[in-house]
Amino acid sequence: MGTYILRRLILMVPTLIGLTLMVFLLIAMSPGGIGAALNVSSGGQMDSGTSKAQQQAYLEDRYGLDDPVLIQYVRWLGRVSPVKFGQRDQIAPTGEVVRAPKQLKTPPRYDVINDTLPEVEAPDPVVFDESMTQEEQTRAYRLASQHYTRLRADSIRTRTIYLETLGRALREIDQDKYVERTGTMKTDAPKRAVERALTESGMESEIRESLDNALSAYASAERARLELKAVFDAKPFREAGFPIIPGTLSVAAPDLGMSFSRGRPVTALIAEALPITLLLNFIAIPIIYIIAVPSGMLAATHRGSWFDVLSGGLYVALWSVPIVWACVLMLGYLANNQSGLGAFPVTGLHSIEAQDMTWLPSFNDGHFVRGFILDTLWHLCLPVAALVYTGFAVLSKQTRAAMLDNFNADYVRTAKAKGVPSRDIVLRHVFRNSLLPIITMFVSIFPAMLAGSVVVEKVFSVPGMGSLVIEAIFLRDREVLLANAFIIGVVNMLALLLADVLYALADPRISYD
Amino acid sequence: MTQAPAQTSEPKASKVNIHEPIMEVNNLAVSFDNGSGPRIQAVDGVQMSVYPRQTLAVVGESGCGKSVTSMSSMQLIPRPPGRFDRGRIDYRLENGKLVNLLELSEKEMRSIRGNEIAMIFQEPMTSLNPVYTVGDQIIEAITLHQPVSTKQAWDIAVEAMDAVGIPDPNGRMKAYPHQFSGGMRQRVMIAMALACQPRLLLADEPTTALDVTIQAQILELIQELKQTRDMAVILITHDLGVVAENSDVVCVMYAGRVVEYANVYDLFDNPRHPYTRGLLASIPKIGSRHDRLVTIDEVVKNPEEFKKLPGADKGITPWWPWNDAPKDLAARNEPAGDYCLHKIADDHWVGCWRTEALKDDNSPPPELEFRCADQKQ
Repeated sequence: MGTYILRRLILMVPTLIGLTLMVFLLIAMSPGGIGAALNVSSGGQMDSGTSKAQQQAYLEDRYGLDDPVLIQYVRWLGRVSPVKFGQRDQIAPTGEVVRAPKQLKTPPRYDVINDTLPEVEAPDPVVFDESMTQEEQTRAYRLASQHYTRLRADSIRTRTIYLETLGRALREIDQDKYVERTGTMKTDAPKRAVERALTESGMESEIRESLDNALSAYASAERARLELKAVFDAKPFREAGFPIIPGTLSVAAPDLGMSFSRGRPVTALIAEALPITLLLNFIAIPIIYIIAVPSGMLAATHRGSWFDVLSGGLYVALWSVPIVWACVLMLGYLANNQSGLGAFPVTGLHSIEAQDMTWLPSFNDGHFVRGFILDTLWHLCLPVAALVYTGFAVLSKQTRAAMLDNFNADYVRTAKAKGVPSRDIVLRHVFRNSLLPIITMFVSIFPAMLAGSVVVEKVFSVPGMGSLVIEAIFLRDREVLLANAFIIGVVNMLALLLADVLYALADPRISYD
Repeated sequence: MTQAPAQTSEPKASKVNIHEPIMEVNNLAVSFDNGSGPRIQAVDGVQMSVYPRQTLAVVGESGCGKSVTSMSSMQLIPRPPGRFDRGRIDYRLENGKLVNLLELSEKEMRSIRGNEIAMIFQEPMTSLNPVYTVGDQIIEAITLHQPVSTKQAWDIAVEAMDAVGIPDPNGRMKAYPHQFSGGMRQRVMIAMALACQPRLLLADEPTTALDVTIQAQILELIQELKQTRDMAVILITHDLGVVAENSDVVCVMYAGRVVEYANVYDLFDNPRHPYTRGLLASIPKIGSRHDRLVTIDEVVKNPEEFKKLPGADKGITPWWPWNDAPKDLAARNEPAGDYCLHKIADDHWVGCWRTEALKDDNSPPPELEFRCADQKQ
C-alpha cells in the first residue's frame, strides 16, 4: 500500500503539469493577454506616475512576458517546483520571494548596424556591515531595485523606438512581412532584411540614432542590473529552502508568485481562502452522506413504499433546481429583511462584530452572545444548504441500487440460512458490500462540490477559493489563476487517492501491492 | 483427512429417538407471483419425510421444485412474490415436540435456521460474503446460536474447519473467501453449516460446481458427519451417481410433484414410473457399448411405458403432465386433485392420476425408515 500511495503521488506531477499548462495557454491566448487588466486600469498597484514603458518593464520583469509562452511556462514550473537549480532565492519580510535579476536583453539585430556593445564596468561586490539592521538592508535592496526598474524601463522604451524605426524602414522597402502589427520590427527578422532596411530605405541616420539611444540605455540598465545583483549576492534577506549542493541545487517550498491585482504573495491569499472553501465542503459533504446514505438504505429495504417513492421524487426535484436560482431564492426569502424572513445573514462569513466575540457562546448580563464559532456556523447555513441540496439524489439512488443488488446475492441467502437477524443482514452484510459504489461517488461528488462552491461563494460573498478565482479571471491575474488550478488539482487528486485507499480498506479483494 | 471431530462442545444427539422422522413435508404447495401472468405453481402436493442418520435424496431436473421445497423448510422463499398455498412441514424438536416450519414467526425461525437446520448451497463461489474473513463468518453462525465467548467460538470454528479437512485451520481463519479455491470454499460452507451441530442438513447440490475428486471428498465427509452426529441429510441433486452412492431413500420429483418415492435399492432395481426409468436408462454404463444413449423422452413418449404399473388394467396410470389425463379421471375438487401419491407396493410410492380406481385412495404418506448402513451390518 505504501508503495502504491507513493507511486500515485509521483504520478500527480505529470497530471499537474498538464493541468497548469492548459490553464497557462488559455490565459496566454485570452485577448489582451495577462497585462490587459492592468493596462486598462489606472495601474493602481504600482508607483504613481509610471509611464507605460515602465509598466511594461515591470510586467516583463515580473512575469517574463517578453519570452515565448512555453518558456514563460517552464519558468513558472521552475518556480513552483520544490527542487531549485542555481542560486537560491531569498524571502523578503513581506513573504515575497526575491530572486536574482534576469539577464537583460540586447536590442535585436544591433550587430548588423553597430559591431560593438558598449562596455559595462562591473561594480564592486557589496558587503553588508554587521551593524546594518534588516530594514537598512531591505532599503538598500529596494533602492537598487527601483533604480534598475527605472533604467530598465528606459532601455525597453528606447529599444521599442529603435524597433519602430526599423519597422518603418522595412515598410518603406515593402518588407511588411517582417513587421509586427504594432509597427515594430519582428525580433526574429533575418539579418539581410535589416541590412537592406539600413541601406535601401534612406533612413540610415535615423536608425543609427535610435540604436545609439537604445544601446546607451541598455548599458546604463545593465550597470544598474549588475549593481542590483551585487546587492542581491550580499543576501539582504533570508534564503529560501535548504541547500543540497550549495550554489547549484536546493529544495524550497513552491513559489506561487505575487498576485498583481492584490500585490500580495499568492500563497498568502490561498492560505486565507482555501480553509474557508474546505470548511464549506467538509461541512457539506458529511451532510450529504449522512442524509443520502441512510435514506437510500431505507428506500432499498422498504422498496416501493411511500418513503421510497417520496424521497426519490424529492431528491430528483431538488437536484433539478439550478444552484444560482436556489441561491437567489434563499437570499430573497430566508435572508432578506424586507421581503423575507431575515433569519440568516445575507453575505460574508462573519458579522462585523465577530472580531470582538468570544470563541464560544456565552451569557453576558443575561443576554445571549453568539460567540465566534456559532456566528460562523450561522453565516454558513445558507451557503452549505446551497451546496448540499443537489447532492442527495445521485448518492441515495446509488446506495439504493447497490443495496438492492446485494439483497439478491447468494451470500445474503447464506446469512439468512445461518439465522442472522434481518437488521444485521442489512447493516453487516449488505451495506458493507454496498460501500464500494458509495465510495466511488465521493470521487465524483468532491470535484463537483468544489466547482459548485465557486458559484455559491460568489453569491453569498464568502471569501473562499471560488471568490478568489472569479476575481482572478476578471483581472486575468495569471499567478492567482495558476495557483488556484494547481491547489484545486492537488486537493482533488488527494481526494481521489483517499477514495482509492478506502476502496482497499472496504473490499479485501482489492489489493494494490 | 477426516477423523471424527474432537468434540469440546456438548454433542446434541444421543437422547433423540432415531426411529421418529425428524421432518415431514405434507402436501406442500408453493406458488410465485408472475407479475402480469397467472401465478406459477412451483410445487404442489409434495410429500416426503426424513429420519435421523438418514439421507433423503431429492432428484429431478432443473426447475422441478427441489430447491423450493428445501428453501420452504427454512422459510427462505422470498414472500412476496412467493407464497405458501397449502400444506405443512413438521419438524421434530429435540424434546419431541412437533412444529410447523411454515407457520413459525421470523424470530422463532431464526433459532431454527443454522441451529436446528443448516443449509449448504450450490454456489460456493458466491455464497460466502466476500468482505469478511471465513473465520468471521463461521464465528457469526456460532455466536448467534450458542452462548459462548468469542474466544470459544474461535476454537469451535477452528475445530469445524479442521473437521471438514481444511489444512492449517487456525491460519486460514483469517483468510478471505477469494483466497480459497472452489472446493475449499464449499468446505468452509460445510464447516459453517456444521459448526452449530444442526440436526438436519439441507445440501442443495453441494457438489455441482466442484470437480469429481473434490465432490467425492465432500460427500464422504457429509456421510461421516451424518453417522457421528445422528444428523439427517436431505441431499438435493440431479446426479444419479451421487444418489446411488450416498442416499438411503430417494424422492424423484417432476414439475413440482413427487413422481416416485422408494429406498435407493428398490428405486434403482425396480423403477416404477416411466420418468424414473427414463432417467436411469439415460445413464451411460461403463463396460457396455452404446451407439447412442436412450433419452428420457424416448421412454416417456412411449404409451406402453405407462401401462406397466401393477393394477394398470384397473386404471392405475402414472401421473405425467404432458400426457392427456385418463378418461376415467376422478379429480377431487381441490388443487392437485388430479394427482395422488399412491403406495404401489411395500415401501414404494408412485405419483398417479387420480382415476376411478384411485378415487378413494388414501395411501399413507411416504415414510421410510431405511438406512443403507443398517443393511450392511
